[in-house]
Amino acid sequence: MNPSIIQLLLQHDEIVVKHGHSEYSPVVLITTNKKQGKERIRDKESKTNGRMDNNVTYSLSQMNLDPPTLGRRKSTLIFDDEEEMGYTNHQEHSKSMDSDSSSSTESLRTGMCPVEITWQQGGNKVYVTGSFTGWRKMIGLVPVPDQPGLLHAKLQLPIGTHRFRFIVDNELRFSDYLPTATDQMGNFVNYLEIGRGQKDTLSARSRIAMEIENEPDDIGNGFTRFKEEIPLKPQVEYTQDIPAVFTDPSVMEQYYLTLDQQQHNHQNMAWLTPPTLPPHLEDVPLNSYNGIQGDSNNENNSGALPIPNHVVLNHLATSSIKHNTLCVASIVRYKRKYVTQILYAPLQ
Amino acid sequence: MGDVGLGRGNVVLEQKFSVESIRAFLKSKTSYDVLPVSYRLIVLDTSLLVKKSLNVLLQNNIVSAPLWDAKTSRFAGLLTSSDFINVIQYYFSNPDKFELVDKLQLDGLKEIERAIGVEPIDTASIHPARPLYEACIKMMNSTSRRIPLIDQDEDTHREIVVSVLTQYRILKFVALNCRETHLLRRPIGELNIVTEKEVASCRMTTPVIDVIQLLSQGNVASIPIVDDEGHLINVYEAVDVLGLIKGGIYNDLSLSVGEALMRRSDDFEGVYTCTKNDKLSTIMDHIRKSRVHRFFVVDEDGKLTGVLTLSDILRYILLGETGS
Repeated sequence: MNPSIIQLLLQHDEIVVKHGHSEYSPVVLITTNKKQGKERIRDKESKTNGRMDNNVTYSLSQMNLDPPTLGRRKSTLIFDDEEEMGYTNHQEHSKSMDSDSSSSTESLRTGMCPVEITWQQGGNKVYVTGSFTGWRKMIGLVPVPDQPGLLHAKLQLPIGTHRFRFIVDNELRFSDYLPTATDQMGNFVNYLEIGRGQKDTLSARSRIAMEIENEPDDIGNGFTRFKEEIPLKPQVEYTQDIPAVFTDPSVMEQYYLTLDQQQHNHQNMAWLTPPTLPPHLEDVPLNSYNGIQGDSNNENNSGALPIPNHVVLNHLATSSIKHNTLCVASIVRYKRKYVTQILYAPLQ
Repeated sequence: MGDVGLGRGNVVLEQKFSVESIRAFLKSKTSYDVLPVSYRLIVLDTSLLVKKSLNVLLQNNIVSAPLWDAKTSRFAGLLTSSDFINVIQYYFSNPDKFELVDKLQLDGLKEIERAIGVEPIDTASIHPARPLYEACIKMMNSTSRRIPLIDQDEDTHREIVVSVLTQYRILKFVALNCRETHLLRRPIGELNIVTEKEVASCRMTTPVIDVIQLLSQGNVASIPIVDDEGHLINVYEAVDVLGLIKGGIYNDLSLSVGEALMRRSDDFEGVYTCTKNDKLSTIMDHIRKSRVHRFFVVDEDGKLTGVLTLSDILRYILLGETGS
């Protein structure tokens, strides 16, 4: 994120709903829509209607920049070799890749995507090895028919970011024709990001639901499939103006009083408790950044972080204010890489 | 005799070949290419107090950070240990100005520079899409031994601080990823890259403020500490001043350098030495394995004879071996 956008958000500090919590900063419904360079604000209902709109997001509270506390759950966003071991023999799948329909269902079922990796920089024996094989197995590349000098291997890879290198006549090489980066150890590698945007990872349940959707409604013997009436989505209006409820204290007070009355005295002052954070935002790469630098210091001098899950992008995170210093962070894309920028500024 | 001459000739040729291929590699890649897929970047607002910024650096275990001017929405240079050295020197010669030093903001560092008459912070930067070689040349010529990567936001056309490259990061990258470094087998004494004259040194009993002055005058990142016979025993680094004035306390400037070293953190990498007969390939091996920023050249008795800094190595790789 451009620090100016962070700055823009800071200027709107006053719209932060002050809650009585000391540890948890309130969940601030500010989105950073980079395209417009402006914030959008929606009320809490956006959460309940369950839409995962990339533009409409929740700011993340309490990003802990201190050394991780004991017993913190391991981040699911850690770029872990072990989780990527789903590699399958490419030859097995070469058949299914020819017929289009079966491969798409196949990839839907297994979460695997067919990927072709090519090499065009000479050599006789060319292999590829990478995070998808735990850097142990080597997969041989074969010449592409009718295209001299071009070798390829077809792989089935899970959605995510994969690092790899080539072994060309027993020498470790990288391709000049594929994106490059340094890993956490400082090794120069090629990398590929698979499936983001087009194929979202589907839960098993929604995958079954999708398959049922695809089956014909007429299930024979005069029966038709029961379809639940899809309730009309509540009309939500998007605006670029900050609603008065956030800017005018008297309107804000009125709003909360009304909320209280609607609660039928069940949960009095329920608005004092911030809404729970969407689970994706519980694990942010910054929290898994090793605060104990003693060992990792030398290996990770470029500040390399685990690959963030795309849903955490463009959120503004903040740590609790200490010593009058505000610390905000945001993960944004920079071309095909991710920058987690942390800005320290005094509290005016 | 002829065989020996031929063997030597090979070593010289291979060294030249190695430097040339590393250079070609640096020219073929951009700064963007070598960034990790995901990484963190800590940026400080220029209205932050200097003493607060020191805490942020120490807390994040970093020694430098890019500055951001929120008023102009622009990159405002790098904060490095030399800025803290400037403040120390200013306070030492103006002990009545504690109030000013205590309330000093990062954007006030320029006045301190002017007051003590040092070179201003260089704000050199480079676009991430430029070749790595070009970034290295710019970095080599900067006093901060770093180069910020600055781009423009496509929509707002405002500056974006993308990352900061350091000499160590580049050399470690070369050591890790260029096999040709194994061919750098000429002794460093032959290469005319070791600084031997005018290497400032100090004793354990030297007041730390004098050592700080040496760092500033020589524009160097470290001062070797030797005993009465000239044996190398320790080093005082520019980054050690961060620990010295931790918490905004400037009372300890009367300490000796030996006492000041007690404040160094436990993960200090140690002092690395080499001899004139060591090869650059060995040096690069150590850069790959350890966070080392210079090698002190000693003789057989452990007496200090010179220093080989990362700048010296980088300069040789970028510009050396061009003659016939």
